[in-house]
Amino acid sequence: MLRYLAKRGITYIFMIFLTTSAGYFLAVSSLKPALLEQERIPRPTPEQVANSMRLKGLDPDLSPWERYVEWLTAIVTRWDWGRSPNGAYINAEFGDRVWISTRLFLASIILTLVIGVALGVYSAARQYKFQDRAITSYSYLAYIVPAPIAYFLVQLGAISINETVGERIFFVTGISTPGIQPGWAQFVDMLAHYAVPTVAITLVGWGSYQIAQRQYLLDNVNADFVRTARAKGLTRNQAISRHALRVSFIPVAQSIAFTIPAIFAGGFFAEKIFAWPGVGSWSIDAISLQDVNAATATLAYGSVIFALGAILADFATTLVDPRVRVQ
Amino acid sequence: MSSEITTGPGHTQPDVERLHVAGLHAPSDAVLSVRDLSVRFSTENGVVHAVRGVDFDLLPGKTLGIVGESGSGKSVTSLAIMGLLPSTAEVSGSVMLKGRELLGLSDKAMCEYRGNELAMVFQDPLSSLTPVYTVGAQIVEALTIHNPTMSRQAKEARAVELLAMVGIPSPRERLKAFPHEFSGGMRQRVMIAIAIANNPRVLIADEPTTALDVTIQAQVLEVLHTAQEETGAAVVMITHDLGVVAGVADDIMVMYAGKPVETGAVDDIYYNPRMPYTMGLLGAVPRVDVAEKSSLVPIEGMPPNLIRTPTGCSFAPRCPLVSDACLAGEPALAPVPGSALHRAACIKSGSLGGDVDVHDVFAAPPVPVSRFDAVPREKRSTVLQLKDVRKHFPLTRGALLKRRIGTVKAVDGLSFDIREGECFSIVGESGSGKTTTLLEIMEFHKDQDGEVLIGGISNKQATDSRTKSAMRRELQMVFQDPTGALDPRFTVYEVLAEPLQNAGMDRQAIKKRILELMKLVGLQPDHVNRFPNQFSGGQRQRIGIARALAVNPKLVVLDEPVSALDVSVQAGVINLLDRLRAELGLSYLLVAHDLSVVRHISNRVAVMYLGKIVEIGEVDRVFDNPRHPYTRALLSAIPVPDPQLERTRERIILQGDLPSPLDAPKGCNFATRCPVFAALPPVKQEKCLTLEPPLEPVAPSAPAQALAAHPLPAPDQRFACFFPDGEMDEDMLVVHEQADHHAP
Repeated sequence: MLRYLAKRGITYIFMIFLTTSAGYFLAVSSLKPALLEQERIPRPTPEQVANSMRLKGLDPDLSPWERYVEWLTAIVTRWDWGRSPNGAYINAEFGDRVWISTRLFLASIILTLVIGVALGVYSAARQYKFQDRAITSYSYLAYIVPAPIAYFLVQLGAISINETVGERIFFVTGISTPGIQPGWAQFVDMLAHYAVPTVAITLVGWGSYQIAQRQYLLDNVNADFVRTARAKGLTRNQAISRHALRVSFIPVAQSIAFTIPAIFAGGFFAEKIFAWPGVGSWSIDAISLQDVNAATATLAYGSVIFALGAILADFATTLVDPRVRVQ
Repeated sequence: MSSEITTGPGHTQPDVERLHVAGLHAPSDAVLSVRDLSVRFSTENGVVHAVRGVDFDLLPGKTLGIVGESGSGKSVTSLAIMGLLPSTAEVSGSVMLKGRELLGLSDKAMCEYRGNELAMVFQDPLSSLTPVYTVGAQIVEALTIHNPTMSRQAKEARAVELLAMVGIPSPRERLKAFPHEFSGGMRQRVMIAIAIANNPRVLIADEPTTALDVTIQAQVLEVLHTAQEETGAAVVMITHDLGVVAGVADDIMVMYAGKPVETGAVDDIYYNPRMPYTMGLLGAVPRVDVAEKSSLVPIEGMPPNLIRTPTGCSFAPRCPLVSDACLAGEPALAPVPGSALHRAACIKSGSLGGDVDVHDVFAAPPVPVSRFDAVPREKRSTVLQLKDVRKHFPLTRGALLKRRIGTVKAVDGLSFDIREGECFSIVGESGSGKTTTLLEIMEFHKDQDGEVLIGGISNKQATDSRTKSAMRRELQMVFQDPTGALDPRFTVYEVLAEPLQNAGMDRQAIKKRILELMKLVGLQPDHVNRFPNQFSGGQRQRIGIARALAVNPKLVVLDEPVSALDVSVQAGVINLLDRLRAELGLSYLLVAHDLSVVRHISNRVAVMYLGKIVEIGEVDRVFDNPRHPYTRALLSAIPVPDPQLERTRERIILQGDLPSPLDAPKGCNFATRCPVFAALPPVKQEKCLTLEPPLEPVAPSAPAQALAAHPLPAPDQRFACFFPDGEMDEDMLVVHEQADHHAP
């Protein structure tokens, strides 16, 4: 198993290197931070601009290849991902951003999975009954409604609760209140900030898992092996929960592993709407600010997360399906 | 007579009274009594009355065979007894297990009986085991459900015991194996082990061997027999194959359109059938043990749609003896004159006994005679010749750098020829290389290993597409699955026109030819604008045959042409193939696993084992006097629809499955499973293991040679075995001395 993971790991490192390099060339040849500098007032001379860029390692006069070699050498030798045009260091910024994203999404991913799979099983067991129709209709609705609109609706709901109570229970934006006392007060403040984004992302997210789990389980409910289990003396519900459930979870486990990276790297709307400055919003900002190094770093992060997801998917499959052998 | 089958009283009495009466009349020692069992399903088209009044009593240790075509209600009956029908099914009547009523019990209450006193083995072993649990866990689960207090060690020990009983080698290790690590036959053994885990009183086997090879079928039937002896259970054996039940059943119930139409002791049903449907079924089955050729009995038409309740006899639309009286009401199951326990649902059952020939009743066509039959084989021209054809697949390992770790010799040095007007068959288990041989012939490429000559055109010259298309006109193919082989969006006209357009015919000629073809294969010419889904399975196969014949080929390759069809339909298609061969002077290359069909239709036969021909020759010679131990084993594995013969004949049960081609020994491929090899002294065994036996002709028998003035030509039979006359290993020979059971 370890050997297999190591082998897959090496393959993915190679792939990450390729995508990141390609991304760097694309960024370096299309993003021109020097042009933005010229819109400043008072307008700096081109020499001044070039000089300031050169100091930050963003020399516009070098060829893309020369800049690539320089950039790569810095990463390989010093683990230095370069600087932004405003002078900020990518490494420092990156750590903050990843931490914020992780805090924003971790709880909701876990909730999304657990609720989605559980509701999928529940609705499959009650196929075409009222509960199933209600849950599944909701899931399709969540599928259709654009995420930003759903997030706004949840924010509005939280605000109206605040107004009804006449006190600010929930914060609809931001990560924490500055200057709060450590201890109990800080914990309550954290919960008040966490509640709205977590609820919003979970409510929108579970639909796809519910639909998938329901479908795969229904495919297996009338399988021959479930009939065998019933012929052994299990009731229908026992046979389904002991035999059909695990088999139906195999494809779901795979899709879960692949959607985690999508949530992490694509949480742009959530980050913007709830004002949590994470990786998603950074990647969009980097492009609008012509920031070559930040854009490439977010791309590299996305590739890494994706590779982790793929390895996780393999791992989850071997865990639940003995027919898949690892070698 | 072992058990009794009683009839339910008329349908006019109210349920309660009827059940009461039935209960009084049921023999008290019956372990399972079914009375007036009836199942209805609500569908979009209306209520389907799938089972309409089934009655039987099953005595301990006895076997009841339920026989019928697909859709006759056999499986629904068994699922209704088990309480495994979907909740939408309406079940009525009575099912008593040792005096306790099972119908109407809740799912939970039924669980007391299911897997405990009442167990079932299903048809498809590949999908009937949960893929994600070990075999051991699944057997232990069956034990846990009904013995919650049993210790873990005891359960494991019992699981090992069960696996050993059903003949799985090294059972302790195999407990930890997953179902996908077992072959189909092995999985069916595991299913049987699960079913008998709690010593059931009644074991229902629903087509337990239909999905398996004949040799494996023989093994599994043997295991079922052992299981029944060990547990003393009563068995309900459901099958469409009259051969399978002939040897094992004590009583037979023939079902048609959801109703039993004839019931009785096995000998009564097979030797003295009184219902035209039973007679037809028996006449439709080709026999592997009979050389004399007579046409098979086809039963025309299709089973009725059970949405409408039949007003007359449900078999009347297909019955050749139908008269107005038959349409006046559905006949009840009534005792046949002269035998109280033999009952038939036919108003004419009294006149059908004795020496009525089924061929006359059903107007079976005469045996067709081909113009080539009179010409000696050597004087006919060759339509297909294979010279030392090989197909080896490399077996590799590794993702980036492929390492060759072995070779699978799917076809290994095949040579044979087919003459004009001849049917040549290839038989063997799955994995023996039959299909690869066909693919190699169809491939027809100059880079193939070995030479293929079709109508004198060699694959070595097949460099341009014109030679290839000339070859395609000589040779056409009919496929196994008639539904999959026809494009569902093509009308029959389009299906048949396609090859003709390829051949460059003009529209008028195509139209004429298509109408001709439709008549030729026995379809109505005005049905050409229908789509394939508007035809039955047998008719679709006829369309497939018409498509193959469109371009007037000399040779038709038939890949399991009837294995997907019901027996009664199969008979019609076989008769058609026989007639076409005679009328058009066709040659056939037939691949089939059903040796009875092969014997019926072929002139010559080749037996394949692991890519090699082990015996080849004239079909009657090979089947009546098989020389190679594998041929003998294959032939002995075929069940014959003759109960007395089945009970007394000696069977060779091969051990295990077809080995992986990687493990094939250097010498004779068959040595690992050979019953003769197992009994040979070590010195002779050495020869089998190191030398490859060549395919050699059978010497003419010494007395015949002595009588003849000139040296006799070698008969048309060759085989590859060093010790064809060797003793068989005792362990692999089985005789069921059932005659004792039937002694009074």
